[in-house]
Amino acid sequence: MRRPVSRTPSWVPPVAVVGVLALLVAAFLVIRWYTTPVAPPPLNIDATQLVVSSITSLPASEFDAVGKGSANNLIKAVSGSLLTGSNGRPEVFYFGAEYCPYCAAERWPIIIALSRFGTFSGLKTTSSSSTDIYANTPTFTFHNATYSSQYIDFAAVETTDREQKPLESPTPAQQALVSQYDTSGSIPFVDFGNRYASSGASYLPDVLSGMTWQAIADSLAQPGSAQSKAILGSANLITATVCRLTADQPAAVCSSPSIQAIEKTLG
Amino acid sequence: MLGLVAGLAGLGISVYLTVVHYSTIALACPANAVVNCEQVLASSFAVIGGSGVPTSAAGIVWFVVSSALAAATWRARGPRLARAQLAWSAIGLVTVVYLVYVEIVLLGAVCIWCSAAHLMVLVIFLVALARLPEDRVAS
Repeated sequence: MRRPVSRTPSWVPPVAVVGVLALLVAAFLVIRWYTTPVAPPPLNIDATQLVVSSITSLPASEFDAVGKGSANNLIKAVSGSLLTGSNGRPEVFYFGAEYCPYCAAERWPIIIALSRFGTFSGLKTTSSSSTDIYANTPTFTFHNATYSSQYIDFAAVETTDREQKPLESPTPAQQALVSQYDTSGSIPFVDFGNRYASSGASYLPDVLSGMTWQAIADSLAQPGSAQSKAILGSANLITATVCRLTADQPAAVCSSPSIQAIEKTLG
Repeated sequence: MLGLVAGLAGLGISVYLTVVHYSTIALACPANAVVNCEQVLASSFAVIGGSGVPTSAAGIVWFVVSSALAAATWRARGPRLARAQLAWSAIGLVTVVYLVYVEIVLLGAVCIWCSAAHLMVLVIFLVALARLPEDRVAS
């Protein structure tokens, strides 16, 4: 004799599947929350100065050993009248924000590269937003920092702080540069004297994930480290671009084999 | 019918993502703390095994087969066809779970186009599950 077995109601399997999937997604979110690095506390003035001194006094051999490294060259040739700064020298103009993780990544090579042409002062440590991707990427801020050089001028605008509260506004002239050359609207945007421009970061911020400023500075002393390849490779790209603006001055920086090799690849 | 519609919708999304990958067309997608298609699609997980072939190309193949199975089961019901559809959609669902893991845990960003395709896979799986042969009896 055959008799029908008591079957599970037809709605149970689909609901069970959806339930299991919901639990999996919840588990993924918990894992992500536990593995996201916390924001390291900003360094005091003395500790910041030590880190800045460390990353801006790397020997030329270190830069030559890395070359382009793992950096992605986002620097494109643009046309326009030469952008000059308040001292009449070719100007490098940075436009970004403190919350932005890509800006956080790009400030490291910008500081390292421009320090080969001049001196920053007043740099402070900060981290990118804790609620954005690549959360809490350690970096510096250009807000209230100054730069002096006999070769170039530097201007920076950090539009918001890491909480995305307004911080600085570009001048109408600076806004015009952003509108003209940063057509994708991506930040960070860097204008190299209206001769070259870049939008975005030349390496992914995850290479700095969970690291302290000092740990990053220490890693730059090792040419084979992932941080060296990314940051110093990016710094070499920026250095070569600035050398184009300064007619390869200073020679001690611009005549190095790695910089000359990169300069040949610039448009 | 629902499985076929979901399959064609998923196919359309996969074709769109593949065309964007191979062209200079900008992807229509907002970017904020959670949603960031560019972050997901620029990652190493967006291509198959380190090749230049986008994962969405595999999605095209999967949705074509899935749509064909859905069309076949719509025209001619049968336990073997239903089981084949369930097995194929289960493969898709397992892949989706892995891709969602990648998005949330490894990348910390969600691609809404990818999520829409993932949702279509889930719909197809649930339809296949509901179509399991109901003629199982015990003596």
